[in-house]
Amino acid sequence: MPPLTIALAGNPNTGKSTIFNALTGSRQRVGNWPGKTIERKAGMFKHDGFELEIVDLPGTYSLSAYSLEEEIARDFIIKATPAGVVNVLDATNLERNLYLTTQILETGVPTMLVLNMYDQATARQYRIDTAALSTALHGILIVQTSASRGEGLETLKQTIVTFAQQQANRRKPHGRYPNQPHQPSCHV
Amino acid sequence: MVDTPISPTSPVVTYDTSLETEIAHLSVIIQENPTLNQQYTPRWLAIQLLESDSTLSAELHQHADLLQQAEASRARIIAHYQEEPDILLAEQRYNFVHQLTNQVLTRPDGNQLTFSDKVDQIVTHRYWGLPIFLGLMWLVFKMTADLSAPMVDWIDGTVAGPITNRVMTILAMLGLSGSWLEGLLVDGVIAGVGGVLVFVPVLMALYLALALLEDSGYMARAALVMERPMRVVGLPGKSFLPMVVGFGCTVPAYYATRILDNERDRILTGLLAPFMSCGARLPVYLLFGTIFFPENPGLVVFGMYLLGILIAIGLGLGLSRTLFAESEQSPLIMELPPYRLPTPRNIWMQIKNRTWAFIRKAWTVILSMSILIWLLMAIPITGSGSFADTDIEDSAFATIANIVAPAFAPLGFGSWEASSSLITGFIAKEVIISTQAQIFAVAEADEPFEETTMFEDVSEIVTSFGAAVLDTLKSIPLIIGIDLLGESDEAEPSALMTAIRQHFDEVSGGHGALAALAFLVFVLTYAPCMVAAAAERQELGDRWMWFSVIGQTGLAWVLALFVFQGGLLFFG
Repeated sequence: MPPLTIALAGNPNTGKSTIFNALTGSRQRVGNWPGKTIERKAGMFKHDGFELEIVDLPGTYSLSAYSLEEEIARDFIIKATPAGVVNVLDATNLERNLYLTTQILETGVPTMLVLNMYDQATARQYRIDTAALSTALHGILIVQTSASRGEGLETLKQTIVTFAQQQANRRKPHGRYPNQPHQPSCHV
Repeated sequence: MVDTPISPTSPVVTYDTSLETEIAHLSVIIQENPTLNQQYTPRWLAIQLLESDSTLSAELHQHADLLQQAEASRARIIAHYQEEPDILLAEQRYNFVHQLTNQVLTRPDGNQLTFSDKVDQIVTHRYWGLPIFLGLMWLVFKMTADLSAPMVDWIDGTVAGPITNRVMTILAMLGLSGSWLEGLLVDGVIAGVGGVLVFVPVLMALYLALALLEDSGYMARAALVMERPMRVVGLPGKSFLPMVVGFGCTVPAYYATRILDNERDRILTGLLAPFMSCGARLPVYLLFGTIFFPENPGLVVFGMYLLGILIAIGLGLGLSRTLFAESEQSPLIMELPPYRLPTPRNIWMQIKNRTWAFIRKAWTVILSMSILIWLLMAIPITGSGSFADTDIEDSAFATIANIVAPAFAPLGFGSWEASSSLITGFIAKEVIISTQAQIFAVAEADEPFEETTMFEDVSEIVTSFGAAVLDTLKSIPLIIGIDLLGESDEAEPSALMTAIRQHFDEVSGGHGALAALAFLVFVLTYAPCMVAAAAERQELGDRWMWFSVIGQTGLAWVLALFVFQGGLLFFG
């Protein structure tokens, strides 16, 4: 079975690239999105014998397809049907970053959150009630990281494995997502 | 952390009842259609339809019924709220996010200035902003041009010296010395591979500079500072950087267009960047300036640089009002991210991945062009030479140059000698000089091949690498203007200068200086060299590469014609 694909989404300047580098190490491929002038980065994530393909989507503020970046990000989430989306947020800019989150959640693709730059939020004496945030977003998985300092990355890797395993178990052979009506599966 | 699956029956964001009614109405229609239900999440698609997403409507053109229903829903919403549905939906999403943030985030009272705010008070200052920006651009230019130079020389020298020696020694052992295979391997393959590799240090230096500027957060400020002046020619502030880089080399300039935020800006910047005179064009300007305007060669060089900038401004004004007009200019709403210390790992990953992507994409084009030119020069058409052992004027290459030559006659340089140097100039612009030296047979004779031992070759590679590392370190102060390397200008061979002078005088009917100016204008403007073309193809795609190659050559012809014929009218 080919490894599941996870999309990395988020606003620009959230440290998404740092997280992407931390997850995929040197196992990266850089190219362009087909027919586009925008850089496409993908890489393999390995942790505890678990393997995933991670695609770094262009940084966008929304999924409204007003710009090419937004269109690419949206099309990937909708059409390439990744097993899940890891949404990276700047913890010092929660309100603006959460707008994209609401749009990603609307696509119905399973999503987890990474509150990055947590150290800077703490330095500014921000307090984020992650439990309440998770509850408000229907029990979404949330990890706090300070990727540029390497903090929280182990927990993030663990959580991504947990997250991906949930999706792998839920995903039916021919269905899109668990809530869709069952498709008759044909075994040859 | 609780794990509850996201269920479509309880959406995270719930909109007003009137909106939800329409969403539910459309969702049902979508759910009843097996194809749509398989392809999309019904609620998501319903919301997109209400937002009248144009790309989606195009994809759904087969489902006319659904689109009609969506239009009806939209009309009902507009009638009810007196407002467009996409605005309503966005507004309510913002409300949700705002309330959610208030609920989960506690902030200390008071608005203290952060470190970033304080830096920004200087860096984006009305008066200080521009000098700081220009200073940093100067650093970027020096980094791509000077920091990489010793390594470029090392690669160049290693490929042309020890590696070529090794291959020739092995061929000599196999009794193939002087054969066509030697020509193919040495002048075609090895030269081609070397042609790719010499760009590696240049690009690594560029990507280092870009990574530092982008990851530190300065790039956004640079865009802000340059926004107004660049907007005049229809470009965003950020596109100043690729232009600056273009004065060093057009190849990294194309790759630098990646920093721009949208495709229109990237393409337009990429189309204009080659008019910045690159370092390879400078020796041509300088040589011709010295030959034909010995009192004022500097003025010729300066004039060419200025002309390139003026062409870019003119084309920018023209293109941004025609071909690139309808695409909306991205409005000046930009985020100034806080300043951050770039992490070495991120920087290294960017340098490595982007440089590797260049090698992967460019080697095919460059190697095949290199072999093709070698082949054309190896095939004898006239004279008594045999394959791979023929004089350049008897080769297929000269035949082609002869066919092209009449096209240059109205420009004042309609000879195969001039046209063939322009053809090889497509390999790299500085090759124009060496081709003319070769044609006018004033080139120094090739050094006789001396067999070297493996040990000598390896030790030369190692010692010259050491020297290159040392020179790179020495060039770091050079970036800020302290020259530890000393002048390294080579004196031009005067025999070549006399030959060129005579040739241009003859072929232009006694207007050598005018023909030379037209020739320089042509060199400035015509097709980017093949490595630049490969870079443009990778960044902007096939279509725009051909647009540049053909368009620039056409433009070059017109401008050179203008210079020569206009000059004849005025001074003739």
